[in-house]
Amino acid sequence: MEVIIYVSLVFLLIFCVMAVMSHSILKSAVYLALASVMLGVIMYVLGAHWAAVFEISVCSGLVTVIFISAISLSKIKHDEIQKLYEHKKRSAYLPAVLIIGGVLIAAAAMAADFTLPEAAAAISEEFRETLWNTRQADILGQIIAILAGGMAVVVLFQNDEVKK
Amino acid sequence: MLFFGLLMIITGCYCLIRTYHMLKIIIGIEIGMKAVTMFLVLAGYVNGHMGLAQAYVITVIVLEVVITLVAAGVTIGLYKKYGDMDIRNLTKLKG
Repeated sequence: MEVIIYVSLVFLLIFCVMAVMSHSILKSAVYLALASVMLGVIMYVLGAHWAAVFEISVCSGLVTVIFISAISLSKIKHDEIQKLYEHKKRSAYLPAVLIIGGVLIAAAAMAADFTLPEAAAAISEEFRETLWNTRQADILGQIIAILAGGMAVVVLFQNDEVKK
Repeated sequence: MLFFGLLMIITGCYCLIRTYHMLKIIIGIEIGMKAVTMFLVLAGYVNGHMGLAQAYVITVIVLEVVITLVAAGVTIGLYKKYGDMDIRNLTKLKG
């Protein structure tokens, strides 16, 4: 079980770094979707089955579709994108930053003698009961956020012709 | 997992700081939120309250999608107005 988690974690970080360093936005969106799949695998192995299904279907599917639809609406050529945003130059230092950050985090954890506590025995709480009975405010918040997002999309994505 | 999550947050912050492309900025936000989602699952695993952690994770996922949708709408608006997705154009906006 631990092997799957560690392999997925390594791939998750690699896909995140590739999403940032990739010169093509389309490739970045695909790498982000792959990172979501890896996160879904980690969630499933840890026992968060519902969250894993949501992560893979929504973050890996829906968000990628949103990205690709936004990319398809723009008509900038690849060479022009390089000139405009200087991706190559500006993302080149990420591996160095990650190595320095990793060393600093590891040094801080060793200095503080930090270890993750052992996993407690799983408390038998049904996810559906928790969501519907205990976290009702969250559901209300989600509904409001979805309505606000829907209204924002209608306003922002509407055509200029419709406005006229 | 904590170590990898912190590295993911560094990656997301680097993307937010160093890029000019609006869609890349959304990708940076997404990477940071994935790290937060992973921390929530880890907290649920350590405490044993996996049901509660999953409820939080689903709330975070819904908010992530809404943020992405609105940011993509702003990006398209920016592209229609200026012809590219450069965030430096946002400083030209008035009102």
